[in-house]
Amino acid sequence: MQIASGGVTNVGRVRTNNEDCFRILEANNLFVLSDGMGGEAHGEVASALAVETVVKHCLAPEDKDATLIFADIPPTWSAKTRVLANAVHLANKNIYESAQAHPEQHGMGATLTALWIDERRFSLAHVGDSRAYLLRGGTLQQLTGDHSLVAEQVRRGILTLAEAERSEMQSVLLRALGAHPEIEVDAEEHTLFDRDILLLCSDGLTRMVTEPEIAGTLQAEPDPVRAANRLVELANEQGGADNITVVVIRVGFESTDWFSWLRRSGRNKTRANGSAGGE
Amino acid sequence: MAKLSLMFEDKLVKEVPIGSRPVGIGRSPDNDLPVDNLAVSNYHARVYFEAGRLVVEDLDSLNGTFVNDLRVERATLHDGDSIWVGKHHIKVDASGDAMVSWDSGRKASAPRINETMVLDTKQRRDMLQQAAAMGERSQFAAGRLKMPTLVVLEGKTDQKEYVLTNKLTVIGKSGMATVRLKGWFKPQLAAQINQRDDGYYLGPGHKVPTVNGTPIPGPVRLNDGDVIEVCRVRLNFVFRD
Repeated sequence: MQIASGGVTNVGRVRTNNEDCFRILEANNLFVLSDGMGGEAHGEVASALAVETVVKHCLAPEDKDATLIFADIPPTWSAKTRVLANAVHLANKNIYESAQAHPEQHGMGATLTALWIDERRFSLAHVGDSRAYLLRGGTLQQLTGDHSLVAEQVRRGILTLAEAERSEMQSVLLRALGAHPEIEVDAEEHTLFDRDILLLCSDGLTRMVTEPEIAGTLQAEPDPVRAANRLVELANEQGGADNITVVVIRVGFESTDWFSWLRRSGRNKTRANGSAGGE
Repeated sequence: MAKLSLMFEDKLVKEVPIGSRPVGIGRSPDNDLPVDNLAVSNYHARVYFEAGRLVVEDLDSLNGTFVNDLRVERATLHDGDSIWVGKHHIKVDASGDAMVSWDSGRKASAPRINETMVLDTKQRRDMLQQAAAMGERSQFAAGRLKMPTLVVLEGKTDQKEYVLTNKLTVIGKSGMATVRLKGWFKPQLAAQINQRDDGYYLGPGHKVPTVNGTPIPGPVRLNDGDVIEVCRVRLNFVFRD
């Protein structure tokens, strides 16, 4: 199996600070993205803490944390999915406790979308309104459901998708890390197919760029870093109202000319870290 | 967070939090709380938040749903209630729902919509309640839990019908496909179905499928009763009770 990936984060054209954060661990096939919220610089604190916690827990899961999930874990879940879901519970706990301990951080929170590939399967854990997409056979498919008020209204048949996209209430979230001591985490597993392309992104991309544009860019640009950069450019060309973070992951199982070409061109270009304030 | 605990006598069988989606109770294994007992219908009852209240609704089950000792069709639940289905009961724990509010230390202010915010439990209920009032009776409240199903009308596949339980459904020859096509010259990935917030979308894979005879070059939302055709296989997309 071959994986090529790349990520970019950008402040956008309206905001002065970047509260998004992402991390790519190529050696572990782990990809984590978070969009922070909260006054002053606390959104940055929250998203960085979320990403750090998830990465740390996935690389070295502590046994004592395995009991964090109070709901039943489906017996079909892999060990990686359990660890990933636990990591997100832990990130929630850490942000919540940090905000409790530091009154100036009150109200900070973060979204989190994390993806972990294990051969032919991948695990996904998600809270908030960042998104994961899958481009397979030319069709872009959404893997996560936004935990926003408007998305919930769409699920309940109160709003249409088009109404939700025009709504003034799009920024109202029903779930985010750090808001409550406990949280419900969406976790799931899917099978990978040859040439699948996975995308993680913050809402700064999806509010600005349409899904056909996203699908077209991912298909037109085989290099993950360049594809991620192009998507950020598109979001900025269309207003760049929020921070934009994009992680693109291409998967290949059958050795093909397509992939060997990609690996040559993609070498030395992959940035593995991105966070508010830079590193 | 409110939760439901499925009990058999005094043994805990399973516990689930009650989130934004209804919790399904029944004998079929795809329920959130599967109850392995012949006295329980496949899709027996469900529990969900509606307009700020926790509601249990019987889904026309054969032997009925009881709250404490009363048989109910629909009832509001309270912390400590027990829902009885067959010989099992489900304890309702709504105590955790009165949680520390997101903004408890601050003065109430109008939401600044450009700034991302998270609602606390009460705000969330109030807003959904308002929204529900504006949106008339939604499909969510319209009675039954419907399972999206593909029924094979024509062509060679590994099953006669498929209940779509996953977010991603692949139609193709691949061993990893949900709907496995049989026969020579069939593509690994012919077409695919993606569950999204507002429904199920059919999109092409390596073939362009048709819906009711019209070719589908990009994702299209499926309606109850649509006929999908790809690689000489015809599938009827229906919502089943």
